Amino acid sequence: MIVDQLRELCARLLSEGTAQVVIGYGQAAPGKPAYPVFIRRAEDADQLVWNDQCMTNLAATLKRREVKALGKPAVIVKGCDERALIMLAKESQIVRANIYVIGVECNGAGRPAMAKCASCDVHVPRWTDTVIRETESQAAAVRTTPSSARYADLEAFMRKTPEARLAFWRAEFGRCVKCYACRQVCPLCYCERCIADKNRPCVIDTSATPKGNFAWHITRAFHLAARCAGCDECARACPAHIDLRLLNLALAAAAEDHFGWRAGMDPEAEPPAGAYSLKDKEDFIG
Amino acid sequence: MARIGVFTCWCGENVARHVDIEKVTETVAQMPGVRCSINYKYMCSDPGQAQIRDKIQSERLTGLVVASCSPHMHLKTFRKAAQTAGLNPYLVEMANIREHCSWVHHNREEATAKALDLIRMSVEKVKRDHELVPIRVPLTRRALVIGGGVAGIQAALDIADAGHEVALVEREPSIGGKMAGLSETFPTLDCSQCILTPRMVEVGQHPNIKLYTYSEVESVEGYVGNFKITIRQKARYVDMVKCTGCGDCWNSCPIKKNLSEFDCGMGFRKAIYIPFPQAVPARPVIDRLACTRLKRGTGCGLCEKKCQAKAINFADEDKLVVEQAGAVIVATGYKLYNIAKEQDNAQLSGYGEYGYGKYKDVIDALQFERLVSASGPTGGEIKRPSDGKIPQSVVFIKCVGSRDNAKGLAYCSKICCMYTAKHTMLYKHKTPGGEAHVFYMDIRAGGKAYDEFVRRAIEQDGAKYYRGRVSKITEENGKLIVRGADTLAGAPVTIEADMVVLAVAMRPADGVHALAQKLNVGYDEFGFLSESHPKLRPVETNAAGVFICGACHAPKDIPEAVAQASAAAGKTLVMFGREELTREPEIARINEQTCAACYTCVRGCPYTAIERAETLTPKGVHVKYTARVNEGLCMGCGTCVALCPSKSAELEGFTEQQIYSMVESLMT
Repeated sequence: MIVDQLRELCARLLSEGTAQVVIGYGQAAPGKPAYPVFIRRAEDADQLVWNDQCMTNLAATLKRREVKALGKPAVIVKGCDERALIMLAKESQIVRANIYVIGVECNGAGRPAMAKCASCDVHVPRWTDTVIRETESQAAAVRTTPSSARYADLEAFMRKTPEARLAFWRAEFGRCVKCYACRQVCPLCYCERCIADKNRPCVIDTSATPKGNFAWHITRAFHLAARCAGCDECARACPAHIDLRLLNLALAAAAEDHFGWRAGMDPEAEPPAGAYSLKDKEDFIG
Repeated sequence: MARIGVFTCWCGENVARHVDIEKVTETVAQMPGVRCSINYKYMCSDPGQAQIRDKIQSERLTGLVVASCSPHMHLKTFRKAAQTAGLNPYLVEMANIREHCSWVHHNREEATAKALDLIRMSVEKVKRDHELVPIRVPLTRRALVIGGGVAGIQAALDIADAGHEVALVEREPSIGGKMAGLSETFPTLDCSQCILTPRMVEVGQHPNIKLYTYSEVESVEGYVGNFKITIRQKARYVDMVKCTGCGDCWNSCPIKKNLSEFDCGMGFRKAIYIPFPQAVPARPVIDRLACTRLKRGTGCGLCEKKCQAKAINFADEDKLVVEQAGAVIVATGYKLYNIAKEQDNAQLSGYGEYGYGKYKDVIDALQFERLVSASGPTGGEIKRPSDGKIPQSVVFIKCVGSRDNAKGLAYCSKICCMYTAKHTMLYKHKTPGGEAHVFYMDIRAGGKAYDEFVRRAIEQDGAKYYRGRVSKITEENGKLIVRGADTLAGAPVTIEADMVVLAVAMRPADGVHALAQKLNVGYDEFGFLSESHPKLRPVETNAAGVFICGACHAPKDIPEAVAQASAAAGKTLVMFGREELTREPEIARINEQTCAACYTCVRGCPYTAIERAETLTPKGVHVKYTARVNEGLCMGCGTCVALCPSKSAELEGFTEQQIYSMVESLMT
């Protein structure tokens, strides 16, 4: 069982001193959503769980000051979480060598499985220190990988008229209460002062008005363009159930179309927005 | 409380023709924060500036808006005026009501309204300006000159004679450039080599000049006053120090049939060679593609055996040398338009109908120069390439590639009218009874003693000029049949010629674009390097400390290239005359408190001006990582401002608050 291997590894890492804290999943009761736990003593390793409720992207915890204060972390990642980890390393937010990464094979999280899982093509994390895999029979039973269907939902949406799309977003954003949960759970929203909190000048209206909500969601999406690793934590965290996944998909599709780029897929590749090259396309200049 | 002065300029009639100046002045006076609003016919003139200075003092102004032309034109002028009157020069803004308004809007009412909007924005901007101090940077008083043609030679000598060190980089094995291969020069017909080679010797012997021949610029780092240039010295296979230039090596080399670059393919050279006898340095180079020893790794080695100085080194390799320089002068010159062969640019289609490359006796102008040159492959006798006979009738065709939007280049190559006249003269002088026919579009002979020179070719030497184009050249029985039009006579012309000379367009030399990109210098659609201002800053570029001269800038003749080279040297010396350099302080700054250290700006900066840094307490304890701008390198382009997700990058003088205030002022 994966969970046994996880607990054993966790205890070993802590007792050997390879890591000071192991960031993994805990659960109040079977069937309930798992939450992050921070194991600091080898004897607490049996708090760890592993099942289809382990949806949280634990990479997001690494940006937090209180987590950094715990010392060298070992973190459990699924394939999708690992993409965020790679982006964090690209953006100098973590030093890969200072983190022990435990990869776990995942063939779908959530019940029913989250939307992203249907077209997942990173079931097994690749740039980890250790990978724990399921047995062949278990893996074959759950895995579905039509990765060509990555943008199926977006394509269906884009077939609507522009008016219908605008009406859709009006309704979606109309429900936003500006709680910023989407920002707080995002592994890549790590700015110390978010642009939404800047008030001289005030770029984004702070109140939850249609104007302020549009400004916030469009800015959030733009700031994550070619960076969003597609973990969909924002959509899962949103109390108003705004379809943020669709917005993220649109920008991911644009990055893939124009720059052949998928965030966090290749730790060697240079991100399109953060690299200056004389070969940069200039066809947008009249 | 802001006390802004607004000074509206008529610019003679340029602005006043379409903008109601009186109304603008009165309306502006009512804007919040505006203390005084006046207008004058020429604000940039001395009386205009005097009014500005007076008002700064009498009204104790805290900011200035000059509504006139573009900042490019006169911002410096008005900043200086402000400074003289005791106001920080960076508290001056310009509202461009000429280029952005009166020149493009001719409806008086609308133009006036727009002028008011532009001024309103500038007033809001200047309210949020704060005092800035120019950045001081140290200065290396050494120059790097790229290109050793006549322009590069002139610039290098001028700077070296003034007492500063110069590194001169030349791609070919010898300096001298195109001019070294020319025969005689217009309009005086003095011999090109006689005037150039002494200058080349001077360069070679000058104690202040370090010569890098057969070398190219590999990379450029740094900024004005402090460039660090890496030079690639290509493997020459000859030890420059040991070699005495005696010639034993090239005299013994058995590989003879290599087309001579210097003779434009009209003659041959050995595999180990000096390009021409007067080369500087007079040291040979081995053509690694021709030398059998270098190709096979063994065998031959005759040159090595003959060399008593033991200067041949077959194991030679490219070397990288680093040079420091405060200023860079680009003098990379030109190449000729490729007439018939493959084009490097999809817009060009060549002139296949002229049979260049197909008929041996159709040659280009530089090849003709070699034919008439005393040092050329024929010793100065005009013999045609196909059979060595002396041509009795030569057709000269001008504007091949120039002034041709359909197949060639839109611009005029400028020197062809003059050298074609010279060619007819040289031909007539050397071939009594020979006929010289010239097809031309216009005769452009502006310049001292230039038109007289052309008239001499026509009237005294009897060159026949036809105003018209040639449609086709064919070969029949050893004769070239040139079919053209004489548009003045209104009749077709057919000439049986023995030789045809094409006055081919000038294009910037190969590789200049890669070089321009290394130096951050702009270039136009044809690839010629861009000057900073076509009239007032003709040798400066938009990259501070980089100057241009000669034909890399535009087609030009020798006197013009030399004049420009001296100008570039002069500008360099002006710079070297200062104690230290100052840079405009309108650069990016990072708010280290809010910077999340994602370093997107570091990777995105086109000038590598942002560094990874650490914020420390006064006692040196680490607080956080941050990005930091190198003041010497930042050009103030604002890329980092656009990239920064947390808006921690700001451009001094163009802060986000200022831009917002400007936009807001339009909404009310």
